[in-house]
Amino acid sequence: MNEELDSQLSAMFDDELPTEECELLARRLSRDEQLKARWGRYAVMGAVIRAERGVRLNASLAGRVSAVLLAEPALLATGAGALRRAGLRWWQPLAATALAASVAALSILWLRAQVPFAGTPAAGLAAATTTLPRPAVLPARSAATSRAADSYVVPRPSAPPPVAVPSTELANYVVAHSMFSTPVARRNLLSAFMTSEPAAAGAEEALDNVKSAAH
Amino acid sequence: MSADASDLSLVRRVQRGDKGAFDALVLKYQHKLVKLVMRYVRNPAEAEDIAQEAFIKAYRALPQFRGDSAFYTWLYRIAINTAKNAVVSRDRSPIEYDLDRNSSDESYDMQGRMKDSETPEGLVLTDEIRSTVNAAIDALPEDLRTAIVLRELEGLSYEEIAAAMDCPVGTVRSRIFRAREAIDRRLREVFEGGLGRAEELG
Repeated sequence: MNEELDSQLSAMFDDELPTEECELLARRLSRDEQLKARWGRYAVMGAVIRAERGVRLNASLAGRVSAVLLAEPALLATGAGALRRAGLRWWQPLAATALAASVAALSILWLRAQVPFAGTPAAGLAAATTTLPRPAVLPARSAATSRAADSYVVPRPSAPPPVAVPSTELANYVVAHSMFSTPVARRNLLSAFMTSEPAAAGAEEALDNVKSAAH
Repeated sequence: MSADASDLSLVRRVQRGDKGAFDALVLKYQHKLVKLVMRYVRNPAEAEDIAQEAFIKAYRALPQFRGDSAFYTWLYRIAINTAKNAVVSRDRSPIEYDLDRNSSDESYDMQGRMKDSETPEGLVLTDEIRSTVNAAIDALPEDLRTAIVLRELEGLSYEEIAAAMDCPVGTVRSRIFRAREAIDRRLREVFEGGLGRAEELG
């Protein structure tokens, strides 16, 4: 057998081999029965030197364990992921929670501020129109008129979207982000959202505000 | 180089589905684990059964092992818990409880108990292994013997041995390797001969 390889094996047994060499040798060790047998004898030597009395040195514990595990499915790759995840910084989940909470708080404040205007949907609609100009749609639209046969762009519907759609979208957004907010913040947000329902025309702006605050 | 790097590299392989790497971990720690379990149960065969159960539990729990502690520390805890549970369940069994009571005096003879569960061939082989290793160590040159004993008996790192022996770390690595090679040459014959005898008996 290769002397350098055996020397590495001896150092690996003592946890004295550099990590990158360990990776390579571990791969070989797991497959090479001769190398594994030598590794096992190194363990026997240690047991004798430490005078571990009462321990059967010829015990085939590894064989017995291996026989039992033969029927077991191989482990999934999740473990390696778990090792990597252990390196995640502790503050990352906290930061995500804080961000979600601040988004929820901002949206509550904004929605409460909109309540007095609930009876004037036109005002809300006007505000939405002024604060959020629609994107300069769409080159494709003009192209559709001039070169309709060549265009692959589906034209936007000419009618404005139903008023309920932004509300649903906002509700979905809140639900989707509820995992990052506390139950109290969630409840406040939803109740504020419900009370502002008549002013649904302003909800689209609320949605955009919530999204922009979140990002 | 990091402490426990070799165990971690094997653990990662197991976590990626390489069962062969787990064999290496069992081979490395089986004696230590049996010795540990024998603090709780004195019957070597029972200790081996508990150690086997601990290894299997460890294998099944390996996806959750994140490497926060050394692998052996983690395995040690599993083995201790398994042994404690085994003792509790054994003590609930009246027949085994009585047997245990009869043998729990201070003058308990471990070798005598060992004979109850061990075949004569196994006992002879264990003694043969022990005497072969000891004879091989006695035959080693002084510097090799000191290096291997400091490592295995005292648990010193290569750096600590280098300081103690006033030589470079590379020399320590080489001495320990050469000591193991010299012992292994004799030990291999015993294992191969012993296995042959066991097959003849079987």
